Amino acid sequence: MRTAMANRLTPYMFMAPAVIIMAIALMYPLGYMVWGSFRDWNPSQTIGEAEFVGLKNYIFLWNDPNFHESLGVTLRFAFFVVTIEMIIGVGLALLLDREIRGISILRTMFILPMMIAPVVVGLMWRYMYHPTVGTFNRFLDSIGLPRVDWLGDYALTSVIIADIWQWTPFIFILSLAALQSLPRSALEAARIDGATAWQQIIHIKLPLMMPVLIVTALLRLIDAFKVLEVILVMTEGGPGLSTEILALRISRTATEFRELGVAAAMSNYLLILLLLLTVGMFAFNRWQEARAARLNALVEEES
Amino acid sequence: MFKALKTTAVGLTTAAIMVGAAFANPYEEYAGTTLIVNFPAHPHYNAAMKVLPEFTKETGIEVEVDQLPYLKMRERQTLELAQDEGEYDLIAYVVFSKADYVFADQLENLAKYFMNPKLADPSYDADDLIDGYVENIGVAGGTKGYLPGKTGSLFGIPFGSETSVLAYRKDIFEKHGIAEPKNYDQLLDAACKIPEVEPGMGGMASRAASGHQASHAFLLHLAPLGGRVFDDAWNPIINNAAGVEAANALKTIVDCGPEGAMSFGPSEAANAFASGQAAMFMDSIAFMPGFEDPERSQVVGKVGYAMHPEGVRRGSQTGGFGIGIPKNAENKEAAFLLMQWLTSKQGDLMVAMEGGNPSRFSTYQDAGLNEKYPFAATFGEALKYADPDWRPIIPVWGKINADIGTTMSKVLTEDLDIQEALDGVAERTRAVMDDAGYYTWQ
Amino acid sequence: MSTPNSRANPAFYAVIALLVFMSVGPVILMFMNSFKLDVDIISGTSGLIFLPTIQNYEKALCDVLWYEPDHIDFCSLKFGNAFINSLIIALVSTALTLVIGCMAAYALVRFRFMGRDTVSLSTLMVRMVPPAVLLVPVFGLWNNEFCLDRDGLIGGAIRDTFGGRGDVCLAGTHSGIILIYVAMNLPFVIWILQSFIVQVPRSLEEAARVDGAGPFQVFFKVVLPLIKPGLAAAAIFTFRIAWNEYLLASALSDRDTRTVPILIVNNMSEFNVEWGVIMATGMLLAIPPIIFTLLASRQIITGMTAGAVKG
Repeated sequence: MRTAMANRLTPYMFMAPAVIIMAIALMYPLGYMVWGSFRDWNPSQTIGEAEFVGLKNYIFLWNDPNFHESLGVTLRFAFFVVTIEMIIGVGLALLLDREIRGISILRTMFILPMMIAPVVVGLMWRYMYHPTVGTFNRFLDSIGLPRVDWLGDYALTSVIIADIWQWTPFIFILSLAALQSLPRSALEAARIDGATAWQQIIHIKLPLMMPVLIVTALLRLIDAFKVLEVILVMTEGGPGLSTEILALRISRTATEFRELGVAAAMSNYLLILLLLLTVGMFAFNRWQEARAARLNALVEEES
Repeated sequence: MFKALKTTAVGLTTAAIMVGAAFANPYEEYAGTTLIVNFPAHPHYNAAMKVLPEFTKETGIEVEVDQLPYLKMRERQTLELAQDEGEYDLIAYVVFSKADYVFADQLENLAKYFMNPKLADPSYDADDLIDGYVENIGVAGGTKGYLPGKTGSLFGIPFGSETSVLAYRKDIFEKHGIAEPKNYDQLLDAACKIPEVEPGMGGMASRAASGHQASHAFLLHLAPLGGRVFDDAWNPIINNAAGVEAANALKTIVDCGPEGAMSFGPSEAANAFASGQAAMFMDSIAFMPGFEDPERSQVVGKVGYAMHPEGVRRGSQTGGFGIGIPKNAENKEAAFLLMQWLTSKQGDLMVAMEGGNPSRFSTYQDAGLNEKYPFAATFGEALKYADPDWRPIIPVWGKINADIGTTMSKVLTEDLDIQEALDGVAERTRAVMDDAGYYTWQ
Repeated sequence: MSTPNSRANPAFYAVIALLVFMSVGPVILMFMNSFKLDVDIISGTSGLIFLPTIQNYEKALCDVLWYEPDHIDFCSLKFGNAFINSLIIALVSTALTLVIGCMAAYALVRFRFMGRDTVSLSTLMVRMVPPAVLLVPVFGLWNNEFCLDRDGLIGGAIRDTFGGRGDVCLAGTHSGIILIYVAMNLPFVIWILQSFIVQVPRSLEEAARVDGAGPFQVFFKVVLPLIKPGLAAAAIFTFRIAWNEYLLASALSDRDTRTVPILIVNNMSEFNVEWGVIMATGMLLAIPPIIFTLLASRQIITGMTAGAVKG
């Protein structure tokens, strides 16, 4: 009887620490934030002292051109980063999908950028983009081309390039793994039918890789909304608001403008946006599994 | 654990020092105390860092400095000062924090320290402190709440205070026979003439980036051109003729400025001048020593320094930092001794010789300083016209400042109609002020 | 071409060389610049020929050096202190996350109990929360709510032992930062470990149970050793995030608990940027992750693919 009881409790005991920590340090804070977003709250007040203002913060943001601009920057950044990284990453994987001596060393080199702190990535690129002492403008000088104001006129592009440098390897390695686990038989069959390399890629490899690619893209998309340090160090959101992504705007609103309520409301908007993405990803996963199951069932029936 | 170890180590060193300084002096009672002070990362405070060991040697009071970038410093302070017991014994604060801190009752009134015969140094000579700075940075509670006046009292002492001067390229001006700009007409003429006669070079480098920078640049011209943000009854008058003229001046300057001028912050603007992309630069004196540093500047020796040109009146900016004692500090009296030492005649001069910005008339007259920094004389002259009222330091200023900055940036980049834009600012400002209760008595 | 092509194709190798150059180049550039004087960095007497100096490192590490270099006027960068903070925070939070995450993942895979689906769904959801979103609530809670009264029993004891002033709050302590890192990393660790635990054959566990082992013994003696690769992957990823994180640490740390990323960001926004010193601090921050990458690239890749492909 006692062992049965213990056995029934076991899973809860295993889960308990994780659940408690996540409840205290994630769920409670998120609830606290929702509560705080209805208040006019500055950092030297406790939340109890802050005045309740209803939906004022949300309405303010809804009409705030700076928030719109920042949202636009965020969406542009996420879109370009994911698209370009997917194209380059998958392209490279298709190109390099063959036996190379020392592939493991190469892969080590490629994952290096991902492992380095975003703060450090930001400072390396800030140096390389520097108008006078930076690597790129020195190079342009030395081949006689005019200098480019990287972090001024082309700030968003420059920031996107840095992110591409850091995260393309992620997509490259994932798609390479997917590529190498493709069923050999399908590729054999295609080759015997006389399909060109190009046809193989379009009609066989890409469709077969698609589930992994979509998950990868969604993971990158969600990570793209988390980017902050690289941009903070490179441009601090400037010039103007041209690189001020939402995460950065939240942090500035909270610390620099001292409007915790508005920052909380902004966080909620961002969360809602991400929630839509997550639900989409989850639904897609489910749908994918269901389809795979259906296909398997079909195949089994036929055989 | 580490903290405990460190304290022991500090205790041991101070004990050793105390043995050395065992004669009667006003500092004796406090020798061995460790003060924790919060300073910004700023050229003036870097200079002060070099002088602090001297203080410890003389007094036996240890100083531990927490140096932060100034916006970070302000964030940290908002948090620390709100607590019952704070970590910092002495803080440096940005001018515009004065209103917040005093209003929230977070800074010590200095009267009781200057009254205390055991603490106050009779040779301090407070009259030597530059008036505009003391009024702007230290005094609160007078006219309009932030200006000097009969009801005002002292909450801090200026340390690392700044005013605006005009730096211009002597060689370029001479080459094209342009005179040193004395007033705004000459300034604007010169700003737009330079790009014509000297292709590739902008007229004047100015802050213009959206937000605080654009607002700062606009206010810089507003005061000398006769404008104010508010009239005496707190009605926004930023949209009157002087306001429009100031905005026009800023627009002219940016339009005739170097490439990319619309996104300049102060350091970009200073860099543009230092690398020869602009012929003029008008901003805080804190940037000026950098132009004479061969490691960072390509215009060493070619720069002339002039007073902020006159509009309908003289009025250069007042800004920078002050030091004050938090209400929740642990060692307030020792902190006062440090504060007094740093801003004394000797302290001020020592910091100035290391590259700091003086806060005393006597320091500006010092022969040694003038020899080391040739522009010191101009700065001293400019100070006489420093305008403590060039921007209102009231608790809601942050919001208004952000609005002015964003609007001004739009004027510069999107060609908004200036009168309309300023009318908008005035209207929103009135709402903010109403919200904050400034019209209660009307 | 999917056919294994062993013929050396020059263009192909050129592409690979270019890729390697692009991904490693900036790091090497930083490494070299960290040994240059600012004058050399700015003057641009380019590239490889310069007199290496350790002045930048001396300046960065001035608080832990046993001697005082002549070129330093005052020591404002407290890098040594920050480095120790970073180490404590990253190591402790990694260890805690692994232990707790492992247990939770095991329960999720092996036991059927009420609310399992909810847990795994919310785990996934939480993974999407950007740190910036946590900034406001964590700042407010850690500073104002998660506190012990200074005059209370435990609070008083802590103040007596460790010194310091005011109420004892989570903000400004190592534990405060560790707590949020553990919470942030748990979902990811659970996600990865799940996919490893699924592969542990059930029969092994049953055999152990028949021999009389309780659920905890089964977990520690049978399951844990089998999922070591997964643990390694999860450990590296957790460490990486805890080591590199800036935003939350900057909101929660005080004078004594600042971590290295905070120090670097603070130093960047100064009036004039001292490139050499910044590169040196950046290099010091990058060294641990670089070592991990070199030693355990296989585990990292396993972790990445497990997280994405199988998730």
